[in-house]
This record gives sequence, structure tokens and C-alpha cells, in this order.
Amino acid sequence: MPAVETKYFGIVSYAEESAVLFPQGLPAFEEERGFVLIDAPEGAPLVFLQSLARAGLCFLAIPILSIDSSYQLAIAPEDLENLGLNAGSQPGMGTDVSVLALVSVRDGFLASANLMAPLVLNVRTRRGLQAIRRDSRYSHEHPLAPLARAQATKGTRPPETAC
Amino acid sequence: MLVLRRRAGESFLIGDEIEVEVLAVSQQGAKIGIRAPKETVVLRKELKVTQDENTQAASGPSARDLEQALRKLRP
Repeated sequence: MPAVETKYFGIVSYAEESAVLFPQGLPAFEEERGFVLIDAPEGAPLVFLQSLARAGLCFLAIPILSIDSSYQLAIAPEDLENLGLNAGSQPGMGTDVSVLALVSVRDGFLASANLMAPLVLNVRTRRGLQAIRRDSRYSHEHPLAPLARAQATKGTRPPETAC
Repeated sequence: MLVLRRRAGESFLIGDEIEVEVLAVSQQGAKIGIRAPKETVVLRKELKVTQDENTQAASGPSARDLEQALRKLRP
């Protein structure tokens, strides 16, 4: 089992299927391609997106449906093509793709999530990209307070597939 | 904000060196051409917003402060 030095959890062994590849990197982190998704029980529903190349780089992310259970994807056709998906229709969340929102920390606490530019992972290929929306339907600084309500209804949705 | 009405084929100038031309307008949106000096960065705004937000997201809590940061997320 491969292992990675992490920002938060020391050296962690991980299953190959927890590794994800962003062939184009992420905006402002174009050179960072390989990551591993780490679930931390104390952090649920938070997911840790640890860089495989840089121990000090670990994003915090939340399955987007945990933040907004009615979130609607609007992935641009070229992004769908890059994901190896049919460009003519939106993929199914939880079936075709996992969708995560990156969390920003301000003043020491988890302040907001970026719903404008979700991370979309093709669950079959484990490849992903950050799909920047062209519309202005969702905020890039969605306040995280509503998460408390989302957690209260946790039993009604499948957290495994939501991510 | 300055608002201009331009048709396809018409352009406007920003300063002496930047020209923005409306190439075509359709249901899908406006197609814009930009002539600017090489060193001028032209970026879709949402990409810049995402870069900034990612940079902010990458400077998450330190390992020591993680638990505290997570606690504040709890109901």
C-alpha cells in the first residue's frame, strides 16, 4: 500500500483507489496533479484532499450535496470532454461523478465553500478537474453555517455516494 | 460602471493600448476580441476568482489548529 506524508495526519497509507489525478492541476496550483482523498472520522463530512507531491498542501473539501442537497451541476461541455464524459448531458452526482466544494478558512475557522467552482471527479477514471461555472447561480464564498442544517438531515441522503 | 452599447464589428478602447471588439452576438453570448500589449494579463474573471479562492483554501488551518477549526463547524 502506498503511503504519503500529510499535512494533518503524519504518514498515511492509502488505497490506490483513494488517489485522484487532476491532469490540469487546479487554478493557481497547476503543477499539483496528484492528490489523495482522506476521510477523517472526526472531520465528517469533511474530506481532506492531500497533495501527493507536497506534504504541506492539503485542501479541505465537503461533498457539495452536504452543503446544498439540491445543487445542480452546470459543467461546460469542454470540461465534460476533459473528464471523459458525454458532453451532451450533465453527469449524475454520486453515480458518474463525485462533486466536492473547496473550503476556505478565515480567521481560523471554516468560513465558506466554493460552490461556483466545484471539484468534479469521474468516479470511473479517478480523474478530475475544477469545473468553473459560467453562470452566477452559486457563490464562490457560500457561507458554511447552513452545514449544520445539512448534517441534521444526514440520514436521508447517502453520504458515501454524495462524495 | 460605465455602460456602452456596441454592435458586432464595433469596438472600444481602454487607454491607448487596449482595444476590445465585439465580434459577434448570439443567444449563447457575445464573442469578444481583445487587442492588448503582450504583458497585459487577460483572464476570465471567474478564473481569477477561483485562483484567489484556491489560494485562500490552501492556507487552511495548521495541523495544531485543525481540531479547533472543525469544532466551529459543528452545530
